[in-house]
Amino acid sequence: MNRPLAPNLFCDRSPRRDFLRVGVAGLFGMNLAVPALLRQQALAASGASPVAGNSEMSFIYVFLKGGMSTIDTFDLKPDAPENIRGEFQPMNTNVPGIQICDQLTRIARQMDKFSLIRSFTHRNANHGEADHYMLTGYHPVAGFNGGLKPNNQQPSFGSAIAQKLGARGSVPPYICLPTMHPSGGAAYLGPAAVPFVIEADPSSPSFSVPDLSPPLLLDPTRLAARREILAQVDRFQKSAEVRANSGANLMGAFSHRAIDLMTSPEAKRAFNIQEEPEKLRDEYGRNTLGQSCLMARRLVEAGVRCVTVEHSNWDTHDRNFSALKDQLMPKFDLAIAALFRDLADRGLLQRTLVVVTGEFGRTPQINKNAGRDHWSRCFTVALGGGGIQGGRVLGTSDRWAQDPAERPCGPEDLAATTYHLLGINPQDELHTPEGRPIALTNNGRVIRELL
Amino acid sequence: MSRGTRHLLFLFAAVPLLLCAKQEPASPAANSKSPAQRPLNFERDITPLFSRFGCNASSCHGKAEGQNGFKLSIFGYDPAADHSALVRESRGRRTSASAPENSLLLRKISGEVPHAGGARIPRGAAAYETMRAWVAGGAPFGSTNDARVTGIQIEPAERVLPVNSKLPLRVIAAFTDGTKQDVTHLCIFQSNSDRLARVDAHGVISTGDIAGQSAVMARFLGSVSVCRLLIPRSGPAAPATSVPAFNFIDTLVDEQLRKLNLASSGLCDDATFLRRAFLDIIGTAPTPAESRAFLADTRSDRRARLVDSLLERPEYADYWALRWADLLRVDRQALGHKGAFAYYEWIRGALLENRSFDRVARELLTAEGPLDESAAGHFYKVAKRPGDMSGIVAQVFLGVRIACAECHQHPYDRWSQRDYYGMQAFFQQVGYKKGATGELLTAEGTPALSHPRTSESIHPYPLGGVMPATTPDGDRRQNLAAWLVAPENPWFARNLANRMVAHFFGRGLVEPVDDVRATNPPTNPALLDALARHVVEKRFDLKQLIRTLAASRTYQLSSAPNAANEQDEQNYSRALFRRLPAEVLLDAVGDAIGVPEKFEGVPAGYRAIQLWDSQMEHYFLKLFGRPQRASACDCERNSGASISQVLHLMNSPELQAKLAHEGGAVARLTREHSSDEKLTEEIYLAFFSRFPTSTEKAAAIRHLQRDPRQRRHAAEDLSWSLLNSLEFAYNH
Repeated sequence: MNRPLAPNLFCDRSPRRDFLRVGVAGLFGMNLAVPALLRQQALAASGASPVAGNSEMSFIYVFLKGGMSTIDTFDLKPDAPENIRGEFQPMNTNVPGIQICDQLTRIARQMDKFSLIRSFTHRNANHGEADHYMLTGYHPVAGFNGGLKPNNQQPSFGSAIAQKLGARGSVPPYICLPTMHPSGGAAYLGPAAVPFVIEADPSSPSFSVPDLSPPLLLDPTRLAARREILAQVDRFQKSAEVRANSGANLMGAFSHRAIDLMTSPEAKRAFNIQEEPEKLRDEYGRNTLGQSCLMARRLVEAGVRCVTVEHSNWDTHDRNFSALKDQLMPKFDLAIAALFRDLADRGLLQRTLVVVTGEFGRTPQINKNAGRDHWSRCFTVALGGGGIQGGRVLGTSDRWAQDPAERPCGPEDLAATTYHLLGINPQDELHTPEGRPIALTNNGRVIRELL
Repeated sequence: MSRGTRHLLFLFAAVPLLLCAKQEPASPAANSKSPAQRPLNFERDITPLFSRFGCNASSCHGKAEGQNGFKLSIFGYDPAADHSALVRESRGRRTSASAPENSLLLRKISGEVPHAGGARIPRGAAAYETMRAWVAGGAPFGSTNDARVTGIQIEPAERVLPVNSKLPLRVIAAFTDGTKQDVTHLCIFQSNSDRLARVDAHGVISTGDIAGQSAVMARFLGSVSVCRLLIPRSGPAAPATSVPAFNFIDTLVDEQLRKLNLASSGLCDDATFLRRAFLDIIGTAPTPAESRAFLADTRSDRRARLVDSLLERPEYADYWALRWADLLRVDRQALGHKGAFAYYEWIRGALLENRSFDRVARELLTAEGPLDESAAGHFYKVAKRPGDMSGIVAQVFLGVRIACAECHQHPYDRWSQRDYYGMQAFFQQVGYKKGATGELLTAEGTPALSHPRTSESIHPYPLGGVMPATTPDGDRRQNLAAWLVAPENPWFARNLANRMVAHFFGRGLVEPVDDVRATNPPTNPALLDALARHVVEKRFDLKQLIRTLAASRTYQLSSAPNAANEQDEQNYSRALFRRLPAEVLLDAVGDAIGVPEKFEGVPAGYRAIQLWDSQMEHYFLKLFGRPQRASACDCERNSGASISQVLHLMNSPELQAKLAHEGGAVARLTREHSSDEKLTEEIYLAFFSRFPTSTEKAAAIRHLQRDPRQRRHAAEDLSWSLLNSLEFAYNH
């Protein structure tokens, strides 16, 4: 499993997608003038419950793709032998008794705003499957094809939240930045729960969401005329043909969302990251992770319920320490510290759950390439806000961080806790298009100690 | 122990008899020796228990690093290692013949000592008794003369089962000594689709209220077997189809529809057929002139004539070269510009001259010499490792994925590690030499390959074959090629037929098309067999296969559902909606608007379906799911849709500029046709390849006449609307 940390290759030899790569399932529909009734029917047909969720809560999921080495970041083992403890030293944080890596100086000063689960564990150390597990709360079963985009057998957290709570205002309920993780899809929930994917890098100087506005030279009369004619000419939009095609039967909900976006001043403003003061943009870090976190805060502020920020490449099989020290941790330290500070200062942290994790951790044992391999048996998940107490450590790992020593937590529990904090009953069900009930969480238990 | 085991056997044999007494045949397991009559064998008697109770699963002791210091091979593929782990490691604490109940093994499985996996097998249960007896008997591995399993058979193998009903399965294992044993209670069961049918741990299937087809798999040691289920639509009997069969495809489709109480839709009209055939065969939409000509054709064989003429067009080779270049991975990053282009030209050339598909496969497999002359050899530059070469060949030409078996027994098929390396051994000789004009691809020498676990010498042998005692001399790939394209090869012709069915009918008989497995049976096996025979009879002639598919009534069905098929998307009872592939959609946009897309780095006039380099930056193509060719998986091409796609078609400044272009179709048609009726017709022909209905025409004319000074803008807006309709983006 030891392969070079190539810039665009994971150890399973699957190339990472360029961030513009598309991967959204769902449907294609373009009727701009879908009557509300039709939309209701479409939603009903999908088994969606268009509950106007009262919940004020939002969720930011920072996903460190490839798997962050938590023995080098949040759960150091200074007393372990050299081939385990690694190169970094523990450092005090602003919470007495909690130490994290000495490279994360800014995050250390925000420790009171979030907590650590040092006994997180699950059973799959493969990319793809583990990703699905951590992003949905469900371990994949037979027939899982990690190569698909999306590859969801079960809905991602964001999709389930979108389904259960619906949109808040005119912004989409679920947005992926800067691109969609292959397991970020809606599975059987259909297009209403499919994420809106930005498909652009917020750190780019010319960042804008592609094609969000109609061409400038079209006056409003023509735009209205176009929508009117489209409603007339699109004969399949309401037809039995399309209803009977699972690939094309819910376009009402889908196209409605496109229009909502185009016509929403809130959405337009939220996407305009250039509005932020230069100083704050610097604080988050002028890179994809930093600006994506800043954008996530803007989107949550505008009413988005779930934002997934995906960041690669944490798959440090080779030269783990220099990769962490020189490339990954400096950006990570800026972005995550700024996110917690900024959310807290704006009073948003109480109603924004932030979860920071990869699909798994990395082996305590350092390999011959100064790297660490996949390790799902024990790793640390950082989480704060949204009702989570700050400045705590839940669970401990054993002396070399091989296994949880006490209070093991798994992806099912993360799912239950997330839904609970978002105001969704974890015992609730989702429904397939045929009406078959599927449990929202696979017997997960809410992690009450941190609430 | 024997009492317990017999009890268990009785219990599980009795369940089916009680539930389903009339349907069960007399026990064929009667000649089996019960464990009481023969010594226990670790692999036969103990390993299945580890599988059955999840001990050797990837979530537990089966994972690479084991669990809590105890490691079993995943799914029990390595009984020797498992036996050693139990008996020799941990200073023998795990098994103790003198006090079997005190063995760690028994205390752990019964939960008498803390066990992270919990109490799996309680004291007194039959499985516990088997383990206890085995430990008490000295935990034997068994003798090399002990009977080994040769295969399992699930009963029934196929069944028509109503909605909301139950069916108990039975699994019989056959052994090398000719005996049989009911192993239902030792199997692991899994359904292909929980949506349609669930199966419990005892092998009892329950169907839900949805009609369709599913398969339930049983696994025992390294063997798998499958029960195919047909769940008919409930409700009144479906009417017999009104259109008679056009060819053998329809006869076999109809048989299946009858079994499932489904009825097919009627035929599609000529305009729909025209657009469908153009898009499917040449990846290009018809021009207004072509549409007019075909719609005016009154000859009874006009559809067949159309297909024949399309097959002779150069776009045929362009379009199919694009699709095959995806699978064979024409990859500029790996091959460089020159190499990738040469590789692509070899593929396109083969399609242009309609080279038979067996010859194409053989040329690719046996390429050698200077890559300048043997462009197919670039395949080996993309695949690189011998294991990848055999993996891609199996996936692309056989539709079989063998990668799982690189590290362990394939969990859903019969492939073992030995089979994997047997295939890899064919490619072990591939290498390069310096030649006068550049690199020479060679396949020579006698590189050895050994099994990574057993160190046994591996000699090349194809999937499903028996390993020979020696490795043949010469280029081993020749032997593989001969086997691959032989008419009796069980996968090669079927794979081709299945991929083409997926292309033309919107869904393969096996889905995904490159995941043919014992446990993923075709939805209509008789049809796949018949098509494969047809492919062989026609000597792997691709164009002939296309003619046959396109001539079927099944291909010519309407997409309009009826009461008896609106739920069905599996059985070809109506045409399915398919989104146009990225390149085809982009060309269709350019053609309809009359302003072709310009691509960087290629001469003007290149169409998107002619782009051989999938890595060329292009926002539209990426957005609509063009594959990167990072794998040989058909799934890389994404036909899903997104809001971003909708937004792009609606709002893209580039598309707007094309609509408003002075040299474009809208400007030209508005100039040429002062009659609004005529203008409407032309715009409909350009975008939908059909004439507007009278209602559509009236609505369009109303719009065009709203403000006579803005007629051009109105025509632009009408065109924009057609472009943004489902009818445009989908092949329907």
